Amino acid sequence: MNRTSGTPPLDGVRVADFTWVWAGPFCTLQLAHLGAEVIRVETAGRPCVTRLLPPWPDGQPGVNRSGYFNQYNQGKRSIALDLATEAGLEVARDLVRTSDVVVDNFAAGVMERLGLGYEACRALREDVVVISLSGYGATGPEHGYVSYGPAQVPLSGFSSVTGYPGWRPMHVGISYGDPTAGLHGAVAILAALLYRRRTGEGQFIDLSQWESTMTLLPEAILAETLGAGAPERDGNHDALWSPHGVYRCRGEDRWVSIAVATDDEWRALARLALPDLEGDRAHASGVGRKANEAEIDRRLGVWCAEKTREDVTEALQALGVAAFPVMDARDLHDDPHLSERGYWVELPHDEVGVRRHAGIPYRLHGTPLAVHRAAPCLGQDTSAVLREILRYDEARIRALQDAGVLR
Amino acid sequence: MRVLDCGTFVAASHAAKQLADLGAEVVKVEPPAGDGTRARGPFPGGTFDPEASGLFLYLNANKRGITLDLEKPESRPVLDRLVAASDVVLHDVAPDRIAARGLEADRLLELQPSLVVTSITPFGLDGPKSGLRAHDLNLWCAGGIAFLNGGGPAAADLPPLKVYGQQAGFQAGLNASVASLGALLAAQQSGHGQLVEVSTQECLVSILELAFEHYPYMGISPSRLGRKPIQPLDFLQCKDGWIYICCVEEHQWRTFLELVGSPEWGEMEIFGDRLQRGTNWDALEIFLNEIAAEWTVEELYHAAQARRIPFAPVSTMGDLLASKHLQARGFFATVESPRGHAVTVPGAPYRHARTPWRLRRRAPALGEHTDEVLRHLGYDASELERLRASGAIG
Repeated sequence: MNRTSGTPPLDGVRVADFTWVWAGPFCTLQLAHLGAEVIRVETAGRPCVTRLLPPWPDGQPGVNRSGYFNQYNQGKRSIALDLATEAGLEVARDLVRTSDVVVDNFAAGVMERLGLGYEACRALREDVVVISLSGYGATGPEHGYVSYGPAQVPLSGFSSVTGYPGWRPMHVGISYGDPTAGLHGAVAILAALLYRRRTGEGQFIDLSQWESTMTLLPEAILAETLGAGAPERDGNHDALWSPHGVYRCRGEDRWVSIAVATDDEWRALARLALPDLEGDRAHASGVGRKANEAEIDRRLGVWCAEKTREDVTEALQALGVAAFPVMDARDLHDDPHLSERGYWVELPHDEVGVRRHAGIPYRLHGTPLAVHRAAPCLGQDTSAVLREILRYDEARIRALQDAGVLR
Repeated sequence: MRVLDCGTFVAASHAAKQLADLGAEVVKVEPPAGDGTRARGPFPGGTFDPEASGLFLYLNANKRGITLDLEKPESRPVLDRLVAASDVVLHDVAPDRIAARGLEADRLLELQPSLVVTSITPFGLDGPKSGLRAHDLNLWCAGGIAFLNGGGPAAADLPPLKVYGQQAGFQAGLNASVASLGALLAAQQSGHGQLVEVSTQECLVSILELAFEHYPYMGISPSRLGRKPIQPLDFLQCKDGWIYICCVEEHQWRTFLELVGSPEWGEMEIFGDRLQRGTNWDALEIFLNEIAAEWTVEELYHAAQARRIPFAPVSTMGDLLASKHLQARGFFATVESPRGHAVTVPGAPYRHARTPWRLRRRAPALGEHTDEVLRHLGYDASELERLRASGAIG
């Protein structure tokens, strides 16, 4: 299927990346994956939040040592720039002048205050695509509100419908709005690049993280608007399919997921695990099984308890029933399937050595994608970018260094 | 841009929705029995109706719809003509059924060399687990996210907890739309199409935030049983509902204490910094809930935000639909069902200044555009009749 092996899709596209934390960097990570040259503009005085969070090798903190930063900034370059100085802003403007795309995820209005809003960028480069991934969007009465990743989950409605039955609202395990907004941002940018190729025109894109997250809750929102009643928090259960749960297996905190969507899958499961129910008419339909779900869960729990999650998975998969272990970080790290698929990225990094990072979840068979370098140390590429891309001479770079602008 | 959506459930339909929302002409191909999401609801008034399933109406607005039974040999020439007229084909057919449905990438690329063929599967097209079956719950567990969510150390008996909805499918769809648009840019440049392969499990492993890297960096597998290291970052109960409070920075905590009139707590050693507040959260939570009980959610949310503290309401669906902010931005849109129900749906999360999003058409009734689309491909009435008699179209 490798009939061509051309350059990656965004080869030659340059991205001025003013993002930080997770949503914005996850957006520009997609562009880097697709072959764009992504240049992160950082400031040593206020490093990216993810540079300050664990995990760090040996538990020793350091701005270049965080696995969180290093995961989501693979393949990018980093320049250090003090944007509180006019000289620093001038370098930023020169970068915009030579960039196809400008991305930020500050609160609405911050880029304008820096003199780097859309109109200013457009004056520097007529056909530039500018996207701002703010928490609440650029307009509306709450546009200036502060938005942190963990708070987007409850704000967007996810917490009110996620949780164990009878419990309080719950989180979902990750700051789910961030990567979702990052992916929507990448979609919006790619569409704008297609439009620019056709018309020669750039544009401004206003993306709201809150809205982005809500687009993944259509079932709950439509249940309300269609008068079906908003869903109750119901653990791992499904509104229609049954059984549908996560069951404890042998071992310490080891679990397996089992999901039955069709009556055929149910009969296969029952034949093996609950043989007295296989032909039982009361359990033949999803509606019937939902009515007796607590008892089915209890009995499946007993059936799983003495088996390993691998044994349960193998036995049920052999019958065409969807079962899979609940994976933790170590399970994923050691998983032969992911290794065999070549999913992981392991590249040398000056301060953390070679470590395993999650790779690119989409494969382009004709124009193969790859991460070509580990995440940058803070400001690692400042001189190179100023020299090679902005065409500054050595004296100018030295003067900026001496003035303390390049940090 | 012309797109053929051969999705069977959520993932490929969601990818095709992204392209439809960006203005592509999308044809949704359903089996004569209807797409899987037609049976999912939610339904108006809770009554089953495959022409009014909320999930289907949402995923397939802005698309036309045809029926075509890809498992029947008589359908193959129709598929091939559709493919020849498309720029992108998206599907989420299981690896062992791809050939039976005529969707092998090699074959499609012979028919249309600049085609982008995007295949979304649970575990990818190769590798030892590529043949396994998985529904959304299984994938959420396979991707490692479920293991991170639960009731904390006091609820070790409760299982790892999934998020609400078909989120594995939505994430795979978003990744597929990113990759497909990338491949489309490449195809426009070079004239060469290609196969785009998306593994849903890999999409989810790529959004584990800082959890996965804990293992290669520190030998740790984070779990739902861990205590939150820093607080407050939690749910409190107000007079009339729940609020999420978030004081990551010291100044946010101090400002919050001033807001609620308890600045003296800032001096208490056991709550001295965010780590201590994490360690002593059980005690702190009781105090904070007493305070929260004196406020409504709206009051505390807006008062905190006015002081730049990033609190958020725990929005119910009703709250979202009533939000003045979202109304001012015109986020929600209304679309009809084929039965005439007015349905309010989430709009697009992005606003392109030059190319604004529009809801151009409602989701199709089953087979609504079969004749229209096939006639456009050159089929006449007698050929349509023959196809219908064979069961290839509905």
